Amino acid sequence: MASLSKLTDSSLGVVPTWWRRLSLFLQQLFGRPVSATGTTITLLFLLLAIIGPLIAPYDANEIIPADARQAPSAEHWFGTDNLGRDVFSRVLLGAREILVLAGFGTLLAVVVGTFFGLITGYRGGWFDEITMRTFDSLLALPALLLALLLLGTVGNSRYSVLIVIVVVYTPIVARVVRSVVLAVKPQGFVEAASLGGETRSRILLREILPSVLPTLSVESAMRFSYAIFLVASLGFLGVGVQPPSPNWGLMVKEARAYANLIPWALFFPALAISVVVIGVNLMADGLKRIMSADEVN
Amino acid sequence: MITNFQLTIKNHNLLFLIPIFLLVFLMHACAPEPTQTQEPAGEQERRGELRVALQPIVQTDPAFISSDPEIMIASSVYDYLVDITPQNTIAPRLAREWTVSEDGKVYVFSLIENATFHDGTLFTADDVVWTFDRLRDPDVDSPTKDLYSNIESIEATDQFEVTFKLKESNPFFLYDLSDNHALMLKANTPEPINDFMGTGPFKLVSYSPEDRLVVEANENYFLRDRPSLEKIDFIFFNDQTAQVEALRSGQVDLVMLISADLFNTLQGEPGLIPLEAATNSFDLVRLRADRSPGDDPRLMQALRLATDRQAIFDLVLQGYGALGKDTPIGPMYSQYFSKDLQTPERDIEAAKQLLSEAGYPEGIDLVLHTPDTGNRPNLAVVLKDQWAEAGINVEVKVEPESVYYGDDGWLAVDLGITGWGSRPYPQFYLDTMLVCGANWNESHFCDDEFDRLASLAGTTLNEDERVEAYNQIQALLVERGPTMIPYFFSQLGAISDKFTNFQMKPFPGRSDLSTVRLADQ
Repeated sequence: MASLSKLTDSSLGVVPTWWRRLSLFLQQLFGRPVSATGTTITLLFLLLAIIGPLIAPYDANEIIPADARQAPSAEHWFGTDNLGRDVFSRVLLGAREILVLAGFGTLLAVVVGTFFGLITGYRGGWFDEITMRTFDSLLALPALLLALLLLGTVGNSRYSVLIVIVVVYTPIVARVVRSVVLAVKPQGFVEAASLGGETRSRILLREILPSVLPTLSVESAMRFSYAIFLVASLGFLGVGVQPPSPNWGLMVKEARAYANLIPWALFFPALAISVVVIGVNLMADGLKRIMSADEVN
Repeated sequence: MITNFQLTIKNHNLLFLIPIFLLVFLMHACAPEPTQTQEPAGEQERRGELRVALQPIVQTDPAFISSDPEIMIASSVYDYLVDITPQNTIAPRLAREWTVSEDGKVYVFSLIENATFHDGTLFTADDVVWTFDRLRDPDVDSPTKDLYSNIESIEATDQFEVTFKLKESNPFFLYDLSDNHALMLKANTPEPINDFMGTGPFKLVSYSPEDRLVVEANENYFLRDRPSLEKIDFIFFNDQTAQVEALRSGQVDLVMLISADLFNTLQGEPGLIPLEAATNSFDLVRLRADRSPGDDPRLMQALRLATDRQAIFDLVLQGYGALGKDTPIGPMYSQYFSKDLQTPERDIEAAKQLLSEAGYPEGIDLVLHTPDTGNRPNLAVVLKDQWAEAGINVEVKVEPESVYYGDDGWLAVDLGITGWGSRPYPQFYLDTMLVCGANWNESHFCDDEFDRLASLAGTTLNEDERVEAYNQIQALLVERGPTMIPYFFSQLGAISDKFTNFQMKPFPGRSDLSTVRLADQ
């Protein structure tokens, strides 16, 4: 149950710099071809999300009537959709749309979930009971159903989708964090800190949080991939983000009616969703292997 | 008289009447009204089973049906007093003929005398009176209660004669009588919703909701040469794409109400006949005229100037329909449509100029609401792109159709898109959509001059006067109306070439299935 930092401390016998830890971590991550592929895909899409607007040949919503429904060509790499929008540019710019929404949502869910996980796990008692039973009741509902219910209540917009991701994933993160806290809490170093008169917040942040981080990083990566899928699914169902947003799910929904005529308008956004979700999943899997290998060591 | 003889023959089999029958038959061969074919031409062989793909139905009470599939099924089982032809003219159905008084206020209908309900009961004037009393009963609250509020009285003046007295003359009264809901029920039907008991060409065999509804030929139909088919299966599909795939693979024989894109995929498909019907259906872009910012008509003018209609027509409709001129009186009403009326060409500079005169020199931000059905989301996206050039920045809000129309959001929002179905005469749109205070006046438009012209057009018995009023109305709406109508769309469908003699009507649910027959027959 030791954390990454404590393990490397003991196994190498010296206090490594952050750089040595990072390089070891990267060596392990890129050592396995599968994890390396996943990480590369994820980083590539993140890069596209950042520089997409610089390299996209057209604006995502630019309608070129004369070019409507054209097959992939040198001018339009992924062809054009029913309204004459460049599918390549839309997929490219959709990366930012979807990754920012999913990434920011996941980040918020992880922060809020960690907060509740730490407090409930460490304090226990009535606060733990009330919070966790509330979260259990949220978890009882399938994520997509919960998302649809929430969107029906707060209305359709980008911010509603963000709220949905936070509400859907906070309980899951909180549960995972809480379970680690419960395992770490009885250990000697925590008791020592407690006896040494450390304040509660200091114990949580300095002693317990580092032990939670490895599990949390795996969980975050998993949540991120699910969040991407959720954002795309909501787009496909026509709730949340509104047209003409280049949300990949929304693009698939719009192109579905024309699947026989212009299959490329359906294929490329669907491919983008699959590739990025698989990529993030493979990366998460790689992280998990590294963490559990550390634990075994 | 003709039908009296028929009844006698049928009921009593009096052979000595055969010479008279032959005489009548000869007379009838020379008669000018072929739709009134009444001769018992011997039981013709009814063959063939037509499988029609439809969206699932919810409502089965004729007084409340609204969707095309509901109307198609109901009008197969029930009959109208008068019907609409594919050319939008009035045709006799259960009413054989009629006279109108000189002041246009009294209509006397003579009914078919050998029509029976599926349980064998004779159809009489009492059934007509009961049905229309129900349709205009405020307690029943059918959507037709306003339509028939102008009726002063309905009386059965003979067993087969009904007299309608109107409060005001109404030149479109026959069209009102042919309304989708005005299907003749048996008098005192206790539960019209579960009844399916009409005089129509087909009888109900079975109905399993969400799955299918099966009807078979009514052997005693009063039009003896109809129906030609033995059986019809209405098979329910939630998804348009699935309907078309079922047609392609031969699981159904007829689809209607499909998108231009799906229609294009069926072109050249062996064994299928494409169907296209010009209609007065349109997607309306309207701005609320009773409050800021739409209370300044210059804003609507700027929206129109910023719109490229031809590009919308090509992209969104792919050429299946007609260009609109911002008024609901479309080219389908050839006698009323102002051909010379000019809608503005796209002029971004002029649009910007108008915007700044209206107080928005830096442009304006608006929210464009649209239901999620048909071409409406595409229209919204194209408008957003076109208007952006003129500094009109639109945020598109797509809402599920049932929610948008259901909770009256469509009547409340400032800028919205609404789909309007095709009607056989234009007065309907003026009275329900644009007259001050009308139920569905979604743009909250109020204009005394418009109201005066609409009322004149709706009541005058002088056709020239009406044409003139409609011309003035169109000019007025283009000048200061709250609406933009970029196009009128065609209804599209396809039928298997194993069948023939199907004519899709502008309102596809009203298409007559009793004429359809096997192609080799």
